[in-house]
Amino acid sequence: MSLHHPYDDTLARYAAGRLGAGPSLVIATHLAGCAECRARVGLFEAAGGALLEEAPAAAVRPDLFAAALRRIEEIAPPAPPPRHASPLDALALPPWRRIGSGLQWRRLRLDYAPDANVIMLKVAPGGKMPHHTHRGTEYTQILQGAFHDEFGRYVAGDCIEADDEVEHQPLIDSDVDCICLAAFDGRLRLQGFFGRLLQPLLGI
Amino acid sequence: MSIGLVLRSPPRDIYRVGAGQAVTSEDLKALMAQVAQARDRAAYGRLFQYFAPRVIGFMVRSGVSATDAEEIAQDTLVTVWRKAELYDPRQAAVSTWIFTIARNLRIDLARRATRQRNGVAALGAPEIGVAESAESATLSDERDAKVREAMTQLSREQATVLRLSFFSEKPHAEIARELGIPLGTVKSRVRLAMAKIRPFLESER
Ligand SMILES: [Zn+2]
Repeated sequence: MSLHHPYDDTLARYAAGRLGAGPSLVIATHLAGCAECRARVGLFEAAGGALLEEAPAAAVRPDLFAAALRRIEEIAPPAPPPRHASPLDALALPPWRRIGSGLQWRRLRLDYAPDANVIMLKVAPGGKMPHHTHRGTEYTQILQGAFHDEFGRYVAGDCIEADDEVEHQPLIDSDVDCICLAAFDGRLRLQGFFGRLLQPLLGI
Repeated sequence: MSIGLVLRSPPRDIYRVGAGQAVTSEDLKALMAQVAQARDRAAYGRLFQYFAPRVIGFMVRSGVSATDAEEIAQDTLVTVWRKAELYDPRQAAVSTWIFTIARNLRIDLARRATRQRNGVAALGAPEIGVAESAESATLSDERDAKVREAMTQLSREQATVLRLSFFSEKPHAEIARELGIPLGTVKSRVRLAMAKIRPFLESER
C-alpha cells in the first residue's frame, strides 16, 4: 500500500494524455499497482468526457460517415496483445551497467519517444543515490526496496515527484537492493562523484 | 498567446443533435446499447453525428491539425462500433468512454509519426504509457454526473487551469509563464479543482 502518490495535476495531465512519454511510463507503472490513483485518473477522465461534450461541434466532411460505414463492414484487425501487468513488462530492458560500487543503472529507450530521459537505478543496501538537483520535475517509482532522504521515507510502490530546486541524496535503508524507475521532464543536474559519472552517460 | 478557452460551459444535460432533437446522456447510453446488442446502424449513425464533430472540435482545440483530427474522429467512431460490447453503462458515461478512446488514438498517432520520422518500424508491440481507460477502474456512471456538477462549481481560475491541462500540450511550468503566475499556483489550482471533484469519489466508497 503506497503512501506517496503522484500529485493531482500530474494525474490530470496523464488522464488528458498530456504528460510526456517518460513521466507517463512512470505514472502508468504506479497505476498498475495503485487502485486509489486509478480512481483519481478516472475522475479526470470523466472531466475529459464533460469537456468532449462541450467541445465546439466542428463541420464534418460528408464522406467521413460513409467511410466509417465502409470500415465497420470490414473484418476488424486482430485485437492487440493482452495488457501487461506492468507497462515495464512490455519493454525490452537493456542490461544493467555498473557505474560504481553498489550502483548500477540502465537507460530505457522508447522507440516512440527517443528523447525521453527514462532510467532505472539499482543501489545496494546502505548505498546512496547520486546527489542531484532538478530543473523541471523528476518522477520516481520505487519498484523494490526502500530509501529515505531529508523529506521522508519511501518504499516499493511509492511514487515521488521532486519539483524544481529540490536537492536531495536518498540513502538506501532496505536490506535488499533498491530499484527505481525515474523519468525527467526537464534537465537534471547531477553533482558529486556519481553525478559526474552519470551525467555524460545520460548525455544530459 | 492564445488561451481563448470557454470558461463557462453550456448546460450539459441537454444536447441538440441534427434538426433540433434533444439528446440526454441516457439517450446516448440507449444508442450504445442498440449498437452493442443489435448492431443497429441507425443508432450508430446518431452516435456518429453527435460525437464525430465534437471529437474533431476537441482535437483542433488541443492543437491537432484538421486532417489528423478527422482521422482521429473516424478511428474513434470505428472503434466505438468494434468495441461497443466492452462499454459498460454502469461504469462511465458514453462521453467519458469515447474521450479515452480518442485520447489514446491521439497518443498513438503522435507515436507512429515519431517512429516514422526515425525509421523505426512499428513493432506491433503493445503501447505503453497510455493511460488506462475508465473501463478498468472502479467507477460508476453516477460519478460522471457528479463530476460534471462539480465542474460547474469551479472558480474561473480553477476551470482555466483544468482546461489547459487538457488542451495545452505545454507543461504546467509554461502555462504558469503564460498566465504570469507562479508554477506553484498553477499546480495548486489544479489541486483545488480536484479537491472539489474528489468528494464525489470518496462518497462512493
Ligand atoms: Zn497511487
